[in-house]
Amino acid sequence: MLSFDQVPPLAAPLRFFVTAPLFIALAGLLAVIDGPAILASRWTPAALAATHLLTVGFMLQVMLGALIQVLPVVAGAALARPLLVARIVHPAINLGALALAGGFLWSAPGWLHAAGTLLALALLVFVGAAGSALFRVPSTSPSVRGLKLSLAGLAVVGGSGLFMLLALAGGWSVPLLALADLHAAWGLAGWAGVLLAAVAYVVVPMFQLTPGYAARPAWRFPLFLFAVLLAWSVALAFDADWPAQLGRLLLAAGGAAFAVQTLRLQAQRRRARPDTTFRYWQFGLYGTLLALAMLAAGALFPALADDPRWTPAFGLVLLLGAFVPLIVGMLAKIVPFLLWLDLQNQGLVGKALPPMNKLLPEAPMQRQFQVFVAAAGLALVAVFLPDWLSRPAGLLLIAAALWLAVNLLQAAWRHGRQLQQAPA
Amino acid sequence: MDIPAERTVDARYLEPPQPFVDTMEMLATLQPGEEMLLLLFREPHPLYRVLQQNGHRWRTELHDDGTFAVRITC
Repeated sequence: MLSFDQVPPLAAPLRFFVTAPLFIALAGLLAVIDGPAILASRWTPAALAATHLLTVGFMLQVMLGALIQVLPVVAGAALARPLLVARIVHPAINLGALALAGGFLWSAPGWLHAAGTLLALALLVFVGAAGSALFRVPSTSPSVRGLKLSLAGLAVVGGSGLFMLLALAGGWSVPLLALADLHAAWGLAGWAGVLLAAVAYVVVPMFQLTPGYAARPAWRFPLFLFAVLLAWSVALAFDADWPAQLGRLLLAAGGAAFAVQTLRLQAQRRRARPDTTFRYWQFGLYGTLLALAMLAAGALFPALADDPRWTPAFGLVLLLGAFVPLIVGMLAKIVPFLLWLDLQNQGLVGKALPPMNKLLPEAPMQRQFQVFVAAAGLALVAVFLPDWLSRPAGLLLIAAALWLAVNLLQAAWRHGRQLQQAPA
Repeated sequence: MDIPAERTVDARYLEPPQPFVDTMEMLATLQPGEEMLLLLFREPHPLYRVLQQNGHRWRTELHDDGTFAVRITC
């Protein structure tokens, strides 16, 4: 009998997964409304708003929800009160991400202050709860070490983000450009990248039936990213360009090694048919390699960034080509697994339980994947033909995001119907 | 001491919850003090909880190829 008494209630993580795709749709909506302006530069209000709709509204939201669930399974570290944490963090992060986008879009200090307050609340509660659970357990696997480091990375990206918000809202004189680069590096490499790797070490072999990640590189990779980021941050004080360039090169090399290793493991998988998760991961891993090649090229040839299309193209490849598809690929397995596990724990064992792939069927997810790939591809081409393609790309992105939300909601609905039909 | 193959659950390419089910089934066939071996590509924390509740002892080693070898004493 399966008795996972440490498993948090389903309602704790699920709410994050259902609302997160709406923020991808909002980013698409901004592209439809603002058109070419959103791709003109990294610093336009619309570009800043869209970037944070994707990174805070979607990525951070899914990752926090997933961590509530993942910590007991991957690290043996259960949050003390998962439902309470979810009830505070979920509204705070949703409203905070909306206020942040609004604050950038309308250059409104009031909105930025509101965003800062809400996101600070969400992160303080989450890092406090997750940290007190996680730092009590020993680092017995590369995943546990990675989770601990990623939580520290989250504190840094949150802290630096809040500092910049205060500086923006208060008109302080700080080196915003250099700080923004560092903030992005900590957010994407120190938090999201390390977390993704720590979770991948467990879920890639588990769900895709691949060999395991070799132990030594797995122990070292999160530590390597962290060491590079720390050195880069310290070097910022010395006002030289080369530490940031070297930092980018090292992050690109480390990330590429992880992506290549994962592709090699996937090539040895024992699951005959490629499912949606596999396709999303293949797409995301090749996108990661392209983004990291661009990162390295930009570090070696800084003149590339003189072309105003370079940075928006890099950002699109990194977010829509790498992080977002890798995260959606995980969602496509984690959501049906959680729903199924909940049916088990509700005592429906042995009572004609639907298989996991009946809760979230393959066919609509495969088609949703195709729409997402078209949206990401069109968004990248739109950097070069903004007048023609930025709005169609936005529309496709909205379609892909809403379809994902509908698929996840239908899975939750099938789970609910199964519970109702079950004899008491 | 090596554990014979018939007391090994090699769950490295099995989907959840099969590794858990197979391990509990094998444990049910063992006498107190006897050992079994579980091979996985992850640390089975949920299983640890159940082992602890049922009074079993275990020791885990991570090998270079990413295999976690869990020796469980019934």
